[in-house]
Amino acid sequence: MKKNGRFMVGLVGVAAVVTYLIWTGVSETMVYYMTPVELIDKVSEDPTFHDVGVKVGGMVIPGTYSRVEGELLHVFTVRDLVDESSTFVVEYRDALPDTFTDNIEVVIEGRLRSDGVFEANTLLTKCGSRYEASPEELLGTGQ
Amino acid sequence: MTILGEFALWISLPVAAFGMVLGYAGGRTQRGDLVLSAERTIYAVFGLLLVASVGVTAAFLGDRFEYWYVANYSNANLEVFYKVTGLWAGQRGSLLFWALLLALFAVITVMTNQKKNREFMPYVAGVLQTILLFFIVVLLFADVNPFERLAFTPADGRGLNPQLQNYWMTIHPPTLYLGFTAFTIPFAFAVAALLNGRLDARWIQLTRRWILTSWLFLSVGIVFGMRWAYEELGWGGYWFWDPVENASLLPWLTATAFLHSIQIQENRGMLKVWNMSLVLLTFLLTIFATFLTRSGLIESVHSFAQELKIAYIFLGFMGAVLAASVVLILYRLPQLRSENQIESFLSRESAFLFNNLLLLGAAFSVMWGTMFPLISEGFTGQEISVGPPFFERVNFPIGLLLLTLVGIGPVIAWRRATKRNLQKNFTLPVTVGAATGMVLFGLGARHELPLVTWSISAFVLTVIVTEFWKGTRARARIEGEGHVLAFFHLITRNRRRWGGYIVHVGFVLMCIGFAGAGYNTDSRFNVEPGDVVSLASPFGHQYDLTYEGLSMSIGRGERNLLWQAIATVSVSQDGTPKGILTTEKRQYTNRDTQPMTEVGIRSIVSEDLYLILSAMNDTGGALRNDPGAQGIDLQVLIKPLVNWIWIGCLFITLGTVIALWPSVDRVRLAREKAEGSSELAAAGAH
Repeated sequence: MKKNGRFMVGLVGVAAVVTYLIWTGVSETMVYYMTPVELIDKVSEDPTFHDVGVKVGGMVIPGTYSRVEGELLHVFTVRDLVDESSTFVVEYRDALPDTFTDNIEVVIEGRLRSDGVFEANTLLTKCGSRYEASPEELLGTGQ
Repeated sequence: MTILGEFALWISLPVAAFGMVLGYAGGRTQRGDLVLSAERTIYAVFGLLLVASVGVTAAFLGDRFEYWYVANYSNANLEVFYKVTGLWAGQRGSLLFWALLLALFAVITVMTNQKKNREFMPYVAGVLQTILLFFIVVLLFADVNPFERLAFTPADGRGLNPQLQNYWMTIHPPTLYLGFTAFTIPFAFAVAALLNGRLDARWIQLTRRWILTSWLFLSVGIVFGMRWAYEELGWGGYWFWDPVENASLLPWLTATAFLHSIQIQENRGMLKVWNMSLVLLTFLLTIFATFLTRSGLIESVHSFAQELKIAYIFLGFMGAVLAASVVLILYRLPQLRSENQIESFLSRESAFLFNNLLLLGAAFSVMWGTMFPLISEGFTGQEISVGPPFFERVNFPIGLLLLTLVGIGPVIAWRRATKRNLQKNFTLPVTVGAATGMVLFGLGARHELPLVTWSISAFVLTVIVTEFWKGTRARARIEGEGHVLAFFHLITRNRRRWGGYIVHVGFVLMCIGFAGAGYNTDSRFNVEPGDVVSLASPFGHQYDLTYEGLSMSIGRGERNLLWQAIATVSVSQDGTPKGILTTEKRQYTNRDTQPMTEVGIRSIVSEDLYLILSAMNDTGGALRNDPGAQGIDLQVLIKPLVNWIWIGCLFITLGTVIALWPSVDRVRLAREKAEGSSELAAAGAH
């Protein structure tokens, strides 16, 4: 029985370690996923949110993309998917994914600085392996 | 042909339903004629699904763009190779392909069990038909029919996503599906055991080969996916903790746990309920993965609405399977009692149990992290996601503990390890592990995670090599054989054990490779033709890269290529020229996307040199052959030890195949038995 007891302590120990890892892992790495409207509202309510890392899904506004010559700095403006008047400028210092165009839905991760510019550390374009089209789009390919 | 395929798919529905009823009825009534009919319906369903699959392929080859599926995943110009593999390029075809593979495995199961294990077969047939029926229902009624026609015929299809036009991407999904579907057979036998009450380790012994086969395909399939990501996604990673990847990892984790825990049941008659639960859980996770990999459920909440119908059908099926299995396990609980107790904390049983607990902990964390956006939105209304940092924080420590157990499990004694047993087996390996850590530290290794991983790896490898050495030496002495011969005989006489050790070596090599990522370097340069960039690798190699210029090749639509811009770089390693490496941008004709990047990779044992053409200053520069306008952004990555991952996978494959191979004795026994029975038959004929 004593040995079984020791064994149980071991099992509970492993379970506790895994739970602890998951718990702290979530609390230390979680990122809010917001829309531009939500983020803009949130920072005006609670200015400390300028320092919180967030993930934002938005639409790149066509024609706003520019690249700063001589350095890897991309600048463009993103708008809310629904509310087209909610926009902010994004600065991104890294190589852009192949699928990036200036008319695409992107998910950016970073923080909205107090000067109103979003500093993005990562940028993903939304499409992935599902490349399916609506019938209207299919009709378009024939033209 | 395609019409015939569609027809066959419809016919398969009542046949599978009929076979399902026959199977269960046959098991219940013990009527041989019912069982035989049930088994025959499996052949029929396989034939029908084969016709349906051929129908889809024929539609691809014939450019039948009136079919939604073909229009979305092919176009006239697509290479024939990718038209043939179109069957599993998208969700609709994949589901049919899944069902086809399962039917194939069901046929193999029926064929190999015509004369034996008859007490299992009726229920096995019933369970397999149930699952086939489910997939056929999904195909026909969940808006994912591959034979769905458009209201009009587009002039051309949309073509295949260029990123999927890669060798690894054509073999990665079928390999994974083979793993997923093969696991259905052990599940079917487990349910049959619950139904017929034969609850000893028989169902495990009968399906050991299926379990190993499934595990092998899962492992290799996952690594193929990593290889694809590494070559094709163009930023030097192989694993992103993306929901789709996680979905394939989940059943692998639980299947690995199962593979270990069944050995306790076979050897010690313990963990019966646990094994039943693991086989159920793994099966459910293969279904979950099948569902998730081809739908956008997690990546985007927006696509959830479109997927609602199929999501409900899948969740409903998984819920029903779960409920039915749990009821069966509870019903049989008295017969699933353990025959033995764990006697000591320091025993092989205990090591196996910790292995199981860690693997399930890893699986739980991966599941939790993957579903977290949905969970948090459901509870708080605010979508919160966790990314790679979460998965790494949780799973790196778990992985290191598992790695350590790989060294402990095989040599610690069953039941109760004595102090002598521990000292004898672990003194040398622990010393080697510690010494490796110190030497690496002395050489300048300062990242904790790789340092710890490599030290533990040295410990584990020492344990395994010592085992091989001891076994070989003993055999050489007893049998009077040379050491090489003794080594091979050692393995062939107990393939399960030594094959397993080789798999472990593969796992260790992969961990060594993963840890190499701690030393990745990433440099970016803006270069003009003639520029030389020099960089030192973390493992002491010196690279001088000369950018030679950009050339343009016009594809004129062949293979759907519009143009390729190829950057040529001469590589010199440690002062010696090593030839050229190219990295490209490719523009495909039929996608409204930006150009795709093709990376250039040069592998040596210690590291990969990985070149990415990030951007071109002026696309016209190459076309006009004007070196003045061929400036590019060149990204240079050095990826230490990446090769070890692929080499580790080869070891895993080799070890599993050795463990799977029928042993000499068994083959001889089977032959003698066959000869004996034919003699009897001959005698009877007189």
